[in-house]
Amino acid sequence: MIPHRIARLLAAAAALALLAGCGAKEDRTPPDVPFAPWALAHNAKPDFASVEYKYPLSVADLYKLTPKNLALLDQEQVDQIYARLSAGPIPDGPYEGDLFFPRGESGKLRLSEIAGGGLKGLLVNVAGKKLDLIGEFLWKGKVFYRDERLLRNRIEDLGPLKSAGLVEESDANPLQEIEVKGKDQWLLFPAQLYCGQSLLDGRRESIIIDYAFTDQLPGYRRMPDMLAGRDGFIIRDEIRMVRPGFYLGRAYIDRSFVVNFVLYNDEIAEAAKADFMQTGTTAQDCWTGTQQRKVITAAAK
Amino acid sequence: MPPVLPFPTPRHRSCLPGVNRGGRNVACRGRSINRFVEADMVRSFLAIVALAAVLLGPAPQLAQAASPPPGGTVHEQDIPYFEACAREGLNASECAGRLIWFKATAGNDRFHTYVFQQRVGVLIDWFRVLRTDERQDRFRAWGGINDPNCCTPGSVNCPAKSLDETFGLDWCPGDAELLKYVGKEGYVDPACDFRDAPLAEGDVHGPADQRQSACDLKFGTSTGMLGIRKFPNPRFDLDKWVKLNGRAGSWEGYNGKIPAAGGSDEPAKSRLLDGAVEPPFLIGTSCGSCHISFDPLNPPRDPANPKWENIKGLLGNQYTRISEIMVSGMSTNTLEWQMFAHARPGTSDTSAIPNDQVNNPGTINALINIPQRPVFANEQVLKWHKVASCGSKPEAICWCEPERDGKCWEKSIKRETVHHILKGGEDSIGALEAIQRVYFNIGSCSEQCWVNHLTDLRVADPQQRGFGQTPFDIGQCRRDCPNFRAIEDRLGNILDFFMSAEARATDLREARENAVRKLSLNARYTDQDLIADLETEFGNGAVARGRDVFANTCARCHSSQPEAAAGQFDALDFHKLDEKTGLRADWLGNDAPTLVSEVGTFRCRALHSNHMTGKIWQEYGSETLRAQPADPNLKEPADGGRSYYRNISLLNLWAHAPFMHNNAVGPELCGNPANKANDFYAMRPRYVDGKDLSLLPPEQQPACWAYDPSVEGRFALYKASMDALLNPDQRVPKVTLLNEDVTLRVGPRLWDGTEKEKLLGFSLTIPAQIDGRGVNAGTVGNFQHKAFVVDLVQAKFKPKEVEARLVQQWGEEEGKRILADLKGITEEVTKTPNGLVEALKKRPYLVKQIYSSCFAEIENAGHRFGEDLSDADKKALIAFLATL
Repeated sequence: MIPHRIARLLAAAAALALLAGCGAKEDRTPPDVPFAPWALAHNAKPDFASVEYKYPLSVADLYKLTPKNLALLDQEQVDQIYARLSAGPIPDGPYEGDLFFPRGESGKLRLSEIAGGGLKGLLVNVAGKKLDLIGEFLWKGKVFYRDERLLRNRIEDLGPLKSAGLVEESDANPLQEIEVKGKDQWLLFPAQLYCGQSLLDGRRESIIIDYAFTDQLPGYRRMPDMLAGRDGFIIRDEIRMVRPGFYLGRAYIDRSFVVNFVLYNDEIAEAAKADFMQTGTTAQDCWTGTQQRKVITAAAK
Repeated sequence: MPPVLPFPTPRHRSCLPGVNRGGRNVACRGRSINRFVEADMVRSFLAIVALAAVLLGPAPQLAQAASPPPGGTVHEQDIPYFEACAREGLNASECAGRLIWFKATAGNDRFHTYVFQQRVGVLIDWFRVLRTDERQDRFRAWGGINDPNCCTPGSVNCPAKSLDETFGLDWCPGDAELLKYVGKEGYVDPACDFRDAPLAEGDVHGPADQRQSACDLKFGTSTGMLGIRKFPNPRFDLDKWVKLNGRAGSWEGYNGKIPAAGGSDEPAKSRLLDGAVEPPFLIGTSCGSCHISFDPLNPPRDPANPKWENIKGLLGNQYTRISEIMVSGMSTNTLEWQMFAHARPGTSDTSAIPNDQVNNPGTINALINIPQRPVFANEQVLKWHKVASCGSKPEAICWCEPERDGKCWEKSIKRETVHHILKGGEDSIGALEAIQRVYFNIGSCSEQCWVNHLTDLRVADPQQRGFGQTPFDIGQCRRDCPNFRAIEDRLGNILDFFMSAEARATDLREARENAVRKLSLNARYTDQDLIADLETEFGNGAVARGRDVFANTCARCHSSQPEAAAGQFDALDFHKLDEKTGLRADWLGNDAPTLVSEVGTFRCRALHSNHMTGKIWQEYGSETLRAQPADPNLKEPADGGRSYYRNISLLNLWAHAPFMHNNAVGPELCGNPANKANDFYAMRPRYVDGKDLSLLPPEQQPACWAYDPSVEGRFALYKASMDALLNPDQRVPKVTLLNEDVTLRVGPRLWDGTEKEKLLGFSLTIPAQIDGRGVNAGTVGNFQHKAFVVDLVQAKFKPKEVEARLVQQWGEEEGKRILADLKGITEEVTKTPNGLVEALKKRPYLVKQIYSSCFAEIENAGHRFGEDLSDADKKALIAFLATL
């Protein structure tokens, strides 16, 4: 089944990423942070306001989370973590990225579990190839241009896109390049950045990465950029800050949730760690809501 | 310089004792001296304010100089409201409640600017609705009532001279200050200067005043349409706006349609969809946005240019197209437009946003003579009660607000005396709570407490949040949303306003007397004059005969007198006054629930499910409500308190046609706006052929009636609607049909620029016509597509489970037939992945019945009571009801 193929490919990418980081112990075990009890049915999951009120995440808890161990959690656990985060500052500069599917109660992959695990092969059809490619790029490395409220995706290897005939290039509109950690990378898929509504948790805003009007942005090229836009996949991502330099994201295609992802910048994370450990606070660019959030630091304990 | 408002003269001292107005004034009789003293205090205060206005010139200065009693500044925009309080004789609490009702948004500006668009996915084009260059067309297009104190920039005496100053909207009092903060932080909301009424005596949370800051009521300033309020957007960037739109006063780049690359079958988009664009204003709505109306006793000469004395707050706007406003930014071939823009003028589907997949627009209830409205004792109610402490009780059932002294609430189940509110009496835990729920249904506290509990129509996975509703949590919302507390702490004021003289009956006699007095100041129009005129039209003795017909035919439901309940119809006096309130004693409705199959009217509203256990408004429904047995005559799910309609009040029926909960019995109304893009009736005529429900050709469509809020316009509409009511066989059937093909999409899709492909999920295009027959738009809104998808999937993987469930619900034969068809669809779709529509077209009963929450179609059917009366008795009944 094609959707299974998509899921397998995406999962394989995630697994590879996990294996690549198998050295650190905290990356290989699910993080020990509190969660509210839940069951499978949609209405057997706890209200996020209640989760946050009864099970606040301390700063120490946030430092138990890593870009890799989040993938070892159930989707509900990932959701409960996301809901207890705030947007934080809109990032600036290059970030590494990775997508992940949680292990899921059944052990199956989320993408194939739409409609209770049963839609496979029934109402699903055709063409995953282009999504495979998009998936490989959109939720990986990014560059944030905070002042312009703009984001571009970093593509290390244009080969697959070119071989699929999805890259338009001309002298009048040359591809943009950037060097990150000594590697040349291409910049594609521009998106707008703004503070906006989370499609999971309305209690405070998230940072939105919105491709709907990608064609309005400087450097837009019809192919492949339009694939992410309003006439393509209609991709809209939202992110919240786990801790400085580390964001947890949710990706949507045409308003349907498809995959989780993480963004991280080790330099920013390291530079801000001491202060954040002490205060538990950071700049907030977006509306933080009105529910009182408990800041639990080691000092506060 | 802002205009100085006229001195609020006590020229309408209609409620002062001893003043003979030459006719009945039921609202004034029996009132206590204290109320008159309070009213006079308000008037005295206003006189001081106004005197200061005259002496000091510009209103903002005058207000500050007036040094009113505690509370400080009186804003220029509030002066006409205080004037209205004086005119209506409202006391301090009633007046405070009025101001809140008209202006408080309780923070829903974020909902109507961000949440609805981004989270719910529905776009409002506020400029299309509020553009000042179409101010004269606003009532005709949207049914909106223009704020008398606002003006179009550049018009005579308008302080603003160009559209760029106001970003294309009206200029309104308070804007001199507000406009300074567009694009900046620091705006102080006028609500911060709201002067609270004294705390009610004996308030459990008193005697110290511990009310939440009035700033959280959030008034902003008027947009020019009453009830729609604006706030400066601190995120606004003028340079970006001008770059997008060409100039500050234009919204062309923001709301202009952008064709879809996929062709005209795909809905056109616009930058309204673009969350990165920050408009100059956040737009909020008060309860008044639907409830503010023209006064039947004193209608405006020109509905586009009313005066304050033409406006009332509680009768309900009979012309509002609030549903069309809410989807004004959507293309008409979207599911959202087809689902929302389904309501007749004066109605709204209040479960369209907290969607229960029951398409059911209903009228905005007219609030009349509320002190006489029936209450029901001994109903079982679980709710929060004010207490002074919680002791050691757990927080889940008892909670005290931090940093307050004994401001606590305890949740407990008790036997209570409550009103039955909403069409089926669903709001049934108390009047205060029913009032507060309105605020949440219009988006207040939506982010903190509401949207996480709503259904996302695109989620088809039963394990995902958003697959279905979960209950709104009152305790959590009180804790987490300051706007909740700001309203809750003042609910008593709003209820007092409901009980006030502003809700008094608006009788035809008085309306006609007002009309003749405009020609001759001392003219009178007595009860005898009214009866004489009615009998000239309806026959000698018609009113007296009509009384007998009403008593014996209608009063068993449409009377609140105990004699009616006891079947003693001869003893009924429908005009007698209540000694205590001075109001007409009979509320002309017993508010009791009646099975919808007995009433026979369009039943979808009665199947509304949001107050059931596990649904969004569970906490606002009583246990007594939910224990009502389901209507045994329905095939649709009808348990959990559903399948009833209240027996509504017939007070002032002359002014409130057309009839029934959906305004469907009687002529269709239309605004005939100059801007034909807003001519919503023309887009969607309703009359169909009774045989096959196909739309009648244009030449056979009965003409719609243009909005006419005049006394005689209302009366003419009343008579035509009564004719339709009493002669059901002569009604031309009405069905709201799809006017364009609509695509219902579940799951993501892909378009790669060369071919259309569905990547995941499915899309179901519902054509506007099938085999030459129109498709009921309600079918779309009522189709339980999630249940269908789940059954379809399980029919393949868990057929035994599905069969057992279907057989239990539909019986042995039908259940097995459904399962067989589900399996058949599964096989067909597996072979032909895009064949779902064709597969369903072969089995339309699945969409129209089995997976429909309501399969009624004729919207003006039912309530056939009285059809057997003689023509003379029908006329008599029409004559008599016009006197009530």
